[in-house]
Amino acid sequence: MNTRGVLFLGLRYLQRNRAKTLLLVAAFTLVWLLPAGIGLIVAKVESQLRARAGGTPLLLGQAGSPLELVFNGIYFTKPQVATLPLREVDAVAETGLADVIPIYARYAAGGHRIVGTTLDYFDFRQLEIAVGRNLLRLGECVVGASVAERNGLKAGDAVISTPETLFDLAGVYPLKMTVVGVLAPSASPDDEAIFVDLKTAWIIEGLGHGHDEAEDLGEEEKIAPTIPGDTAVRLNASVLEYNEITPGNAERFHFHGDVSDYPVTAAIILPPDARNQALIKGRYTKAGGLQLVSPAAEMDELFATVFSVQRFVLTLLLAIGIATVAIGALVFLLSYRLREDEFRHLRHLGADLATLRALVAFEAGFVILASLIASGIGMALIHTIAPVIIREMMG
Amino acid sequence: MMIHCENLRFTYPAESFQLAIEAFSVEKGESVALIGPSGCGKTTLMNLLSGILSPDGGQVIVNGVVVNELPMAARQRFRLGTIGLVPQNFELLDYLTIRENILVPCRVSSQLRLTGEIEARCGDLAERAGIAAHLDKFPRQLSQGERQRAALCRGLVTSPPLLLADEPTGNLDPENQDKIVSLLLGEAARIGASALMITHDPVLLPRFDRVVEVMKLRQKGGAA
Repeated sequence: MNTRGVLFLGLRYLQRNRAKTLLLVAAFTLVWLLPAGIGLIVAKVESQLRARAGGTPLLLGQAGSPLELVFNGIYFTKPQVATLPLREVDAVAETGLADVIPIYARYAAGGHRIVGTTLDYFDFRQLEIAVGRNLLRLGECVVGASVAERNGLKAGDAVISTPETLFDLAGVYPLKMTVVGVLAPSASPDDEAIFVDLKTAWIIEGLGHGHDEAEDLGEEEKIAPTIPGDTAVRLNASVLEYNEITPGNAERFHFHGDVSDYPVTAAIILPPDARNQALIKGRYTKAGGLQLVSPAAEMDELFATVFSVQRFVLTLLLAIGIATVAIGALVFLLSYRLREDEFRHLRHLGADLATLRALVAFEAGFVILASLIASGIGMALIHTIAPVIIREMMG
Repeated sequence: MMIHCENLRFTYPAESFQLAIEAFSVEKGESVALIGPSGCGKTTLMNLLSGILSPDGGQVIVNGVVVNELPMAARQRFRLGTIGLVPQNFELLDYLTIRENILVPCRVSSQLRLTGEIEARCGDLAERAGIAAHLDKFPRQLSQGERQRAALCRGLVTSPPLLLADEPTGNLDPENQDKIVSLLLGEAARIGASALMITHDPVLLPRFDRVVEVMKLRQKGGAA
């Protein structure tokens, strides 16, 4: 058998029939890549979600979907989760059983979630400021590493919150915030978030605002008689609301009503030990209108469902894979039947049976090897873009 | 003697056709035209001589080797080294260029190596066959006559001592027929090879050293 000749003839055949070859390689690649790719993505999602959930003992939120609460409280997705008043968060803190970190993750800027919280959050997640400083004043923000990289942000730049209701004049107005710091990468959802003080988040919501001082009217401008000594001010449409908090106007920002009624979407509860954790859990088991969840337990439940779906999908893919391999084998067999003349010619020219068998094996082997290589490249690609896929999946 | 057959008998399975030849010989360097009506056994005889078919009885001796006693693999090797085959339907591989087709015997053989000498011979043959400009084209880009000349070059490229051509001019116009026969006989004479060619065209017969009628060969059972 002439091995070089076999390689030459096999490659020439595959090259001249490249459409058929590519189609077969693509089909076999999908057979290998789909189950492996799904497995890889699920494994990556699982490890990311579990790592984050495992590091968060308890999460308090308004009664509703526990999973949505977990996703909002630790991954900053599901912004429409029901809110609870700050009073409830303070109540947990007042028990002395745990530290509490409020989270208000409702608004966004340029596709990145704005997370209103306290400075404790940075200590809890061990987040380091890579550039600049931490939050000090209203209207400041600290951006995650990916946010900074993707948008070219640095300390001193500004980000503007996305208006929620464009045509609602009484709705949420965009707020221009100054970037004072950039977080070091942490390979977590914190990289994708914009952190602000809780009060800044409430200002975005319109619960706090600042505007021009109302102007005193002189006696000559009063158009109706008033009690002597009373003051009259002009409050009309020309009163300017600020959309940026600066050192010059920061003092004019104020909140109406009781701040303890203001909303948060979740609160991270950090009991110091198992005893306190059990006590808090017991207290909130029957708490009306609220829920206290363990993110790790929620993830267990979620992945139990995901894995059963994955098993089903993999079974389907296995069936499709077997069918594809069978069709591929049929294509090869039919192709060899069509090539009977060619093989006869080669035999007439002196090719022995071993040479012809090697030729057939080489062509089939090439397709399988090429599809395995393509699958490997596909897996590397999935590995690289997995964070993007996971981010898109998390919404 | 290049070819010598004795008491040759062959029957296709499940067919009534029987070929029985008592004796048939071809001398070294001799050119022979095989003629006869369709179905008389010309191609069968050629396949027996080349070892593609095995006789039911008798002996086929080519260049001193009893071909029908060789095992299959040895017979394949013998054919590659000794016989240049030129089939009627060209048998060119459509995924190879004309150059690659001409050199294909060196690709399928473990004993023939693709040397610079053989590549140069390929170029020379193509030049003489008038297809040098088509060496990098594929068979479907060539005319029938050009394809047949390419098949002839493939049969000659290894300089075999015996050329077997099965009606290589069957589908060609007179001009191309003449070119093919001139090339076949000219190259055979140049390398001192024996040439055996099946043909139906009486115009070509005077160009051969000898003409053998297969029907007479079978009826008389004697050497021509």
